[in-house]
Amino acid sequence: MKNSIQNIVLLLSLALFSVSCEAQIKNEKKETVKISGNCEMCEETIEKAGNLKKVASIDWNKDTKLANISYDEKKTNKEEILKRIALAGYDSESFLAPDDVYKNLPQCCQYKREFKKEVVKASINETAHNHEDHVKTETVGVKQEKNQLEKVYGNYFQLKDALVSSDGNKASEVSKSMVVAISQVKMELLDNEVHMVWMKVLKDLTEDAEHIGETKDLKHQRDHFMTLSKNVYALLKAEKLNKPVYYQFCPMANDGKGANWLSYENAVKNPYYGSMMLNCGKTVETLK
Amino acid sequence: MKFLIKIIILLFISTAFAQKVVRYDLYVRDTIVNYAGKEKRAIAVNGQIPMPTLTFTEGDMAKIYVHNELNEETSMHWHGVFLPNKEDGVPYLTQMPIKPGSTYIYQFPIKQNGTHWYHSHSGLQEQIGMYGSMIFNKRSDDSTFRKGIDDLPTYPVILSEWTNTDPKNVHRMLHNASDWFAIKKGTTQSYAEAIKEGHLKTKLTNEWKRMLAMDVSDVYYEKFFVNGKPENQITGIRGGEKVRLRISNGGASTNFWLTYAGGKITVVANDGNDVEPVEVDRLLIAVSETYDVVVDIPADETAYEFLATPEDRTKSASLFLGNGIKQLVSPLPKLKYFEGMKMMNDMMKMNGELNDMGMKMSLNQMDMNTVMYPEITGKKNEKKVMSNEHSEHQYNANKLSSIVTLNYAMLKSPTKTVLPSNAPVKELRFELTGNMNRYVWSLDNKVISETDKILVKKGEILRITLYNGSMMRHPMHLHGHDFRLINGQGDYAPLKNVVDIMPMETDTIEFLANEEGDWFFHCHILYHMMSGMGRIFSYENQKPNPELPDPKKAYKMLKADDREFHFMAENDFATNGNDGMFMLQNTRWSIGTEWRLGYNDMHGYETETHIGRYIGKMQWFMPFIGFDWRYRKMGHDEIEKNLFGQTNTKDKRAVVSAGASYVLPFLATVQGEVFSDGNVRFQLMREDIPLSKRLRMAFMINTDKEYMGGFKYIMNRYSALSTHYDSDMGFGFGLTLNY
Repeated sequence: MKNSIQNIVLLLSLALFSVSCEAQIKNEKKETVKISGNCEMCEETIEKAGNLKKVASIDWNKDTKLANISYDEKKTNKEEILKRIALAGYDSESFLAPDDVYKNLPQCCQYKREFKKEVVKASINETAHNHEDHVKTETVGVKQEKNQLEKVYGNYFQLKDALVSSDGNKASEVSKSMVVAISQVKMELLDNEVHMVWMKVLKDLTEDAEHIGETKDLKHQRDHFMTLSKNVYALLKAEKLNKPVYYQFCPMANDGKGANWLSYENAVKNPYYGSMMLNCGKTVETLK
Repeated sequence: MKFLIKIIILLFISTAFAQKVVRYDLYVRDTIVNYAGKEKRAIAVNGQIPMPTLTFTEGDMAKIYVHNELNEETSMHWHGVFLPNKEDGVPYLTQMPIKPGSTYIYQFPIKQNGTHWYHSHSGLQEQIGMYGSMIFNKRSDDSTFRKGIDDLPTYPVILSEWTNTDPKNVHRMLHNASDWFAIKKGTTQSYAEAIKEGHLKTKLTNEWKRMLAMDVSDVYYEKFFVNGKPENQITGIRGGEKVRLRISNGGASTNFWLTYAGGKITVVANDGNDVEPVEVDRLLIAVSETYDVVVDIPADETAYEFLATPEDRTKSASLFLGNGIKQLVSPLPKLKYFEGMKMMNDMMKMNGELNDMGMKMSLNQMDMNTVMYPEITGKKNEKKVMSNEHSEHQYNANKLSSIVTLNYAMLKSPTKTVLPSNAPVKELRFELTGNMNRYVWSLDNKVISETDKILVKKGEILRITLYNGSMMRHPMHLHGHDFRLINGQGDYAPLKNVVDIMPMETDTIEFLANEEGDWFFHCHILYHMMSGMGRIFSYENQKPNPELPDPKKAYKMLKADDREFHFMAENDFATNGNDGMFMLQNTRWSIGTEWRLGYNDMHGYETETHIGRYIGKMQWFMPFIGFDWRYRKMGHDEIEKNLFGQTNTKDKRAVVSAGASYVLPFLATVQGEVFSDGNVRFQLMREDIPLSKRLRMAFMINTDKEYMGGFKYIMNRYSALSTHYDSDMGFGFGLTLNY
């Protein structure tokens, strides 16, 4: 019933418009604007976001970064078109794309954001709600004089957070710095107990971190994260901590075989599934 | 604004009093606006919408002249303000309405500081422009003055919405369960849409449990405004600075999500009371709440978007902070309605009551709607591994993602708010009740006109527990007092005057009864309030209010609001006859007449009139008395027999009847009726089965061996194409007009 009515409407409109099909955009106004971007994929996204049937059409050139836009002056304006394009992830002279949309662009499209203005440092005279209250410090709770491994642990928790938010780029980035951090550790300065564990796990630790760093494929990264977590757990167990670390377990990960990870929060945020089942799992051991 | 008149606000500084008197003159006038493609009536004050921002400092004396230049009555309520009862601005409760052409003076000392707002409390005037910010500054020598917050550059922000439909008509359409707003919003949730999204079972269960399409808001709005515009800007802020926004939600029925492009939002006050600063990614400001937030402007030459998105996410309004290139924030993705429907199905018992599955819900910590938020629970059709068990985590947005959403448990007063421990405590409990199908909203299934004022003693503490057993959220507002919201912060429970309660939540509030008068306690969704969702607190043995010379008559007028009857009518002009009905309904009563008029005597003419009363909370059951008249020419031998063998001459018949109707699962209505000639008739029918977004199906069958089936395609608010087959009149098609 509805379809038949739609068909009739469609036929009618086809009949009506086939006559005037040639005249595409009325009251046409043409302009050239600069829009940031890298590649052909960008071109496709930019044009798709900006085009509006019979109202606006965009032709973007990936070499010059210039877009020829033409639009019906009575129905829209340049700002509206550029706003749509910005919401699809691309900066222009008028609009900056939302940061999360930009971040989710494919790797090849991560253009340099030259329209962004430099962040002004907040004045030193910090205000009443001083930052100590809010900023969660990322430093690891290992005793100061033996913080040889602090960087490695720090990277591990950053990696875990990246996997929780299913951010393959970030995970890869963090792992690369983890590899560096591992290579800089002076084994001889470690606590005896930790030293023994370190020697045992060093090879696997490096290998897993390298693998995660080399790929942006989340599945692959998570596979390596399982063994990586086991080794970091072994290390932390040997450490004397001044703030608890929670060893957590999700029975569904690893195709139902289950997998562990470490976290500073007792509340479960599962790095193996991202938002799909963020809360699956439980704390199995509290390291102190 | 066409009738923009430049009016200079007079400001007298009187030295005769110790207090500084701050005077404002408000000229209330009709105006014509074109906000959404059509010229419509609105009300402007001093030529502007929203009304001008009124600014005072704690300790001032406010003197506000309201000049009513409308052709109708008006009033002005000072929302969240401590004042003598006669200045509270509720017509027929604290004063008589301000008559057209007259001036009314409100005068009260400013005894508090913070962000408040003001609005008309007469009819539906708030919807068409009568809302404005009201800012009470702290004195700089105040002991609670917070450096870095109270000395920041401050901007009032008031949120609102606009509909091209006359609000009286909006109110009428809501009461008649019109699905036009759902069509406009794209939230019909029809069978076709359900099948397409793989949710047929969800839809079937939903209708089995007698629920209509689910939504988070009732009305379709064409526009949403920040300070009167869909897009607004505050310039002159430099990079590296912080600003404080004093935000009031002046919308009549819209809750807004607030998000920001320049980083975190720091909440520093709520409902005009300071709270310990708390950093969040987003917050929801319920109807009539106020929040003070501090945000950073990270870079120079950049304008950061502060986005207000209505809860139904149909559109949004933006405020840009700073100058230069505009840094956008991601729009909130569309709601996954069928996920919400599925959640509701699980929570709904067959008797229409909600089942919280043993979860203790309160303080907006668990938002059941989380299942509909793609930014937290994944995009539509994304395969989920999540188990079907209901756990508290499933609805806790803050646990499900890294996005931090404000909830009431995070609000903490910087100072102790404990009430005197020796005061007697009076405990009250209310269930927020409602019925979406018939748009009845009440407390304990009673509307204002069905209850008496609740008497309280001066000096006692009122502790009120509220449970929301309805399917919509309700921002409950108390006049003239702030209450403590018991939220786990102990002695530092925050002070509020609005508490937004989500379905199935239980919240407890308490306050000291310290100001005599008749104080309104009501849901601030305008159309819920007008339907009678509220109560009145009155002090025992209080002095009479000089503004109410005839309190009995005034009280009667106040109760008239929710007793109002709403009219609807429909007629199908079809090739095989006219089919139509009209109906008058209020909270409990329904008066309706149906007719079927053929074009010749063979087809016949008939009308049925029913006067009935809805029974019970869900109002599925309605006993009625009726009157039938029909005339139809048949062959002289032809006598109709019904299923019970009773005969029936339809040639000419005028009978009275008594019967009852009941809504069955799947929303089909069964009706049994006994007529004065001894005949009995049972009938099963359903109209408006949503097949697709705009296509509806109807059927009827009864024991007189009559039957009918038809389709209707809704073209616009008032008309539809229809076709039906009728056992009396045969096949036909035509045009249905409805009002």
